Amino acid sequence: MTAASVTTRASAIRRWSWLSRPRMAGSPAVLPAMLSLPVVLWQAVFFAAPLVFLVVVTFWQVRSFRLEPAFVLDNWSRILFSATFQRALLHTFAVASTTTVLAVALAFPAAYTIAFRLTPRMRDLAVAFLIVPIFSSYMLRIYAWQIVLSPEGMANAVLGSIGIGPLPLLGGAFSLQVGLLTLSLPIAVLILVFAMAGIDRTLVEAAENLGCRRGRVILHVVVPSVRPAIALAATTSFLLAFGDYISPLFMTGSKPPTLSILIVDTVKSGSQWPRASVIGVAMLVMLALALGLGQWLARGRTARREDAR
Amino acid sequence: MRTSFPMGDISRRSFLKAGVAAGALAATSRWSPADADDPKVLNYLSWPGNADPYLVEQFEKENGVKIRIKEYVGGDQMLAVINQSPPGSFDVVLADAEYMHLLHAADFVEELDPADYPLKDFWPEFQNFPLHWFDGKLYGVMTDFGYLGLSYNTKEFTPKEVASYAALWSDKAKGKVGFFDWYLPSMGSISLSNGNRPPFDIDEAKFEAMKEKLFSLKPQASGFYTIADIFSSLTNGRAQLVPGIGEWITLGLRMNGVPVDTIIPEEGGLQWTESLSIVKGTPKRDLARKFIQYTTSPEGQVKMATKVDNKKSIPSIAGWKLLNQTMPKEAEILRMTLTGPNVMDEYKAKKIQFRQLPKQQEIADWNDAWSEFKSL
Repeated sequence: MTAASVTTRASAIRRWSWLSRPRMAGSPAVLPAMLSLPVVLWQAVFFAAPLVFLVVVTFWQVRSFRLEPAFVLDNWSRILFSATFQRALLHTFAVASTTTVLAVALAFPAAYTIAFRLTPRMRDLAVAFLIVPIFSSYMLRIYAWQIVLSPEGMANAVLGSIGIGPLPLLGGAFSLQVGLLTLSLPIAVLILVFAMAGIDRTLVEAAENLGCRRGRVILHVVVPSVRPAIALAATTSFLLAFGDYISPLFMTGSKPPTLSILIVDTVKSGSQWPRASVIGVAMLVMLALALGLGQWLARGRTARREDAR
Repeated sequence: MRTSFPMGDISRRSFLKAGVAAGALAATSRWSPADADDPKVLNYLSWPGNADPYLVEQFEKENGVKIRIKEYVGGDQMLAVINQSPPGSFDVVLADAEYMHLLHAADFVEELDPADYPLKDFWPEFQNFPLHWFDGKLYGVMTDFGYLGLSYNTKEFTPKEVASYAALWSDKAKGKVGFFDWYLPSMGSISLSNGNRPPFDIDEAKFEAMKEKLFSLKPQASGFYTIADIFSSLTNGRAQLVPGIGEWITLGLRMNGVPVDTIIPEEGGLQWTESLSIVKGTPKRDLARKFIQYTTSPEGQVKMATKVDNKKSIPSIAGWKLLNQTMPKEAEILRMTLTGPNVMDEYKAKKIQFRQLPKQQEIADWNDAWSEFKSL
């Protein structure tokens, strides 16, 4: 992986140096650079500019429901020091962390089974079944869970027939995790399946030939090989769960509210876009930290391996 | 980060301003004034569903015009939209009574001539509805109203059990109290349960007492629901008691077989009221006036009362009469029969208080208390 990225960077430098030579300007090598231009523009217009705007707005004021340019720190102090925001931050962080741990813990054995135990035919089928939900409406799937989990819903009907229940399944930490895993689990499994499918089988066979039991093979061969993928699956799950609005709203009835719900509440009454932007920026900082941590975890292993050489 | 940068040199600042203003337009809900000058289009700022063909088709045909609705959800959004749109963008606005003084104070609505509208046809109680008049001048004509009390699951609770808001704190209601996620009617109900009349005009001590009482409801709460979710929560039994909502939700559910009803508890209930006003700066004043006349006519009133998405009570006795003649069954279901018990009973029994914005505190104070309650 490292070797590959080094080559890419080297070739990129070479490409740009060609570009600077006037006689090469018309050469076909310019084309890739030209093709990347729309992407750069797109990112500038739809990502960088709104991001700057988001930060700028946090210093603005709302007067009689109208957003007015200003430079006040009041929005920041009001949000950061409010117990409501602090509670929501802790809650959202705890919820997203739980989802991350659950998603990786559930995804790993599932991905291992799909990648190593199933026949190629069954593996393709399993991957297809994992991809389909990504293309179906998340909102629809959450409404479906409401029907399954509601007090007089399908789950309680089944439990009732064997003498259990009725359990308060909907509205609480359990249903919230069900909702968030609906969003993140298929993606986590897919990431790990693709990573595991890429493991060199001879390594596994070598470990087995040397007398490793299944557990040791997983721990010492499979896990280290897919470490970056585990980090990627974990960060993806965290990002999805941390920013999600639909599951907290519909699976728990915003009890308690997460940061995304707090954003909506802040705008809903009094059109407080600046204060909502403060929460938005705070969320982005948290996500950037989570992303950084994921990268660091993924890179740690390779760095160590290179040290050992 | 350098905190000084937005205060930097003028050119950068104005550049920022221009870019940012363009962004602000995209981010907030500004109405395109493209049809502002079209004499055949009536621009209508309203709650969703009020330009349904059932309601307005007849008016459109009679006057050869189209009604173009800009929908808002909640008075705050309505004020934000009207604040951000150039004058002339809207001709008519439908507003909740508690926002009328803000519309009037910001000079967004025109004074109306009472003689233009059939106010004499209204129940005497509503002919001089206080929230629509300022300094003896009329600014909005009432189109419909309803009550907010305590809605309950009739399989789990008897009317006797929910005769007082105290039912919310009962052991039976633990984890079963749903809330409509809007501070105003929810906290208004709690204020009523504390004996505050009027519930929104309370001093600091009473406000603190109300907050404390609200916070004590936390163990009882099942969740905080949006409009869409309150219907499903009442249906699937997640919410068995909901304060601060009314027949605008439970009547439709009951007609679909869900065991729910609304009671006005002994401590009282709230009244929501919608009215139509002419927006200042409209070039189509005559058309706007005609639209208000149409909506408050007996035919327009009956349509308002019987529209599919939510059922409303109407202030016009002439409308009641026509409803009883043409749809006697609906009149009975809607409790608008002229003989026997009807929706005016609670009003006459003085059990009803107007839903209003907080008088002695800022909206933000109430809203922050609500957010805090949710996050407890």
